Amino acid sequence: MALEQLKPSSTGQAIPIHLPHWRSRIYGILGLLILLTVVVGFATTFGSVQIPFSTIFGTLLSKLPLVDITPVWPSTTETIILDIRLPRVILAGLVGAALAVAGATYQGLFRNPLADPYLIGVAQGASLGAVIGFLLPFNWQGMGFGLIPLLAFVGALLSVAIVYNLARVGKALPVTTLILAGVALGALLGSIVSYLIITSGEKMHGILFWLMGSFSLSEWTEVKVVLPYIVVGVVIILLYSRSLNIMQLTEEQAQQLGINVEKVKLILLAAATLITAAAVSFVGTIGFVGIIIPHAVRLVWGADYRFLLPLSILTGAVFLILADLVARTALAPTEIPIGVITAICGAPFFLYLLRRKRKAVFF
Amino acid sequence: MIKLELQSVGVAYGHNLVVKDVTFQVMPGEMVGLIGPNGSGKSTIIKAISRVISLHSGKILLDGKDVFKMPRGDLARSLGVVPQMSILPSAFTAFEIVLMGRNPHLGLLQYESKKDMAITWQAMERTATQPLAERIVCELSGGEIQRVVVARVLAQEPKSILLDEPTANLDIRHQIEILDLIKSLCLEKNLMVVIALHDLNLASQYCDRLILINNGTVHAQGTPEEVINSQNIKEVYGADGCVYAHPVNGLPAVILKAGNSRHANSRDTIEGGII
Repeated sequence: MALEQLKPSSTGQAIPIHLPHWRSRIYGILGLLILLTVVVGFATTFGSVQIPFSTIFGTLLSKLPLVDITPVWPSTTETIILDIRLPRVILAGLVGAALAVAGATYQGLFRNPLADPYLIGVAQGASLGAVIGFLLPFNWQGMGFGLIPLLAFVGALLSVAIVYNLARVGKALPVTTLILAGVALGALLGSIVSYLIITSGEKMHGILFWLMGSFSLSEWTEVKVVLPYIVVGVVIILLYSRSLNIMQLTEEQAQQLGINVEKVKLILLAAATLITAAAVSFVGTIGFVGIIIPHAVRLVWGADYRFLLPLSILTGAVFLILADLVARTALAPTEIPIGVITAICGAPFFLYLLRRKRKAVFF
Repeated sequence: MIKLELQSVGVAYGHNLVVKDVTFQVMPGEMVGLIGPNGSGKSTIIKAISRVISLHSGKILLDGKDVFKMPRGDLARSLGVVPQMSILPSAFTAFEIVLMGRNPHLGLLQYESKKDMAITWQAMERTATQPLAERIVCELSGGEIQRVVVARVLAQEPKSILLDEPTANLDIRHQIEILDLIKSLCLEKNLMVVIALHDLNLASQYCDRLILINNGTVHAQGTPEEVINSQNIKEVYGADGCVYAHPVNGLPAVILKAGNSRHANSRDTIEGGII
């Protein structure tokens, strides 16, 4: 019986099947690209001054090469669009994309659904750096930005480097050890941060606001500094997305399928850490995006990292732009810390997805 | 001459030498069984050949080339492994799992081509896993998962396949289904197959040659008739007088009876006492 069933291929024809979810992933990417464009335009119209969509569109088009449009709007409007709102919207999109893709990468690397970009000490390191920056009696303005982002960036990278060296066993890097070392060092740094906050006196409000994240200080300088890190990191991660898929098997099987597991782990870890550090150093440790966006994408489009990563990038960007829009408009002129909004708006939506899809397994 | 060759291979975990001086060869079209008690070193030998653990001494040559000096990708193009417990990520579809077998054939910037898809699809046809293509792993049974993993190895298009107790958790129907499949692939594609097996009867029925491992060394090797005999079984497993000829094809068959181990009470050892 068994043999009959397993006769050699008689037809041998190639019938690449129509896997419907492959098509839905491609449509998903295209749809999200369009949505992202619309959301960027939409988010730019809102603010203390209402600017019609057509003006936004016209302004943006007129800045493109080879397009010649005579402005019919006042130059102050152009300043608001180009120098105030657009950098903020773009930075929010970049950070959302960065956190989502880093979260997906960490989850894949650690084969752990609870992993997020802050699992191995990036957030605590960045926080400590930033708090030290707040508490220093002097400031320094090089390259168009202050000391705080620089110290946050250095703190983030330094803490991950320490965790990495603590967790390494010879040439191998066991992920469980890495997570545990990260959590332990994170707790240590976190407690130092707490102590510094308590004793910070009048600077406490500023520190807490930074920790919960905000895009209120976004300008083109920030975008220009953050962009290269995120682009390079994302490109590297995307190159290794097939390896990330295969590493979802055991590390042993991945090796047997030709993957140099330790090398890939190191590359992905470095890339994901770099983009997370770049993202949080200017805008603070925004929570929730990095853990939930990849899971939401998995729920809708499946677990294949070659689609999960680009879909997470787009979804993360759209999500954080919208969250920032709510943060700056809901209680205007008061700004709500964006970390509050991401959880308040994101969690119910994610729970809705979780219930509607009713998938027992999506990781 | 293409062959897989182990030359006095030794493997150590820490200072503990678990495999000592193991030497054997496998030719194309040949299915070689590794048998032996738990902890004798069968899985360790499989892991060493697939370079998951490093050698303490000796050499492993595939097609004349040292396995440990090949790039990992090259090794994966000529050697596929079906692990003991195929732990697969539960949210992936069977097709996605089988497609992973094409990885060693693809560069960093390459995407699976139509040809890769076709090879994957054929591998699934060969293993009767096409109907499972769009099911996710957690919906598959143990037998289906093993067939999917065999399909993945086929998609790898290797010259040699290693299997580490591929039938360990399967019922008898699925055991013979997997082994029939492996055997026919071995002949059809002229593969070198090394299979670690617990079940001496399956080993005897399917393998051309057997290597009996005990305490990390080769206790006996040869045809099933030469290896599975009362003396070897008693020496290695401690079970006495349980080797018979298979009633249909005459290959050695091991039929156990209760009360044959060192833990037996004397009343259990009465001839035919417990049936």
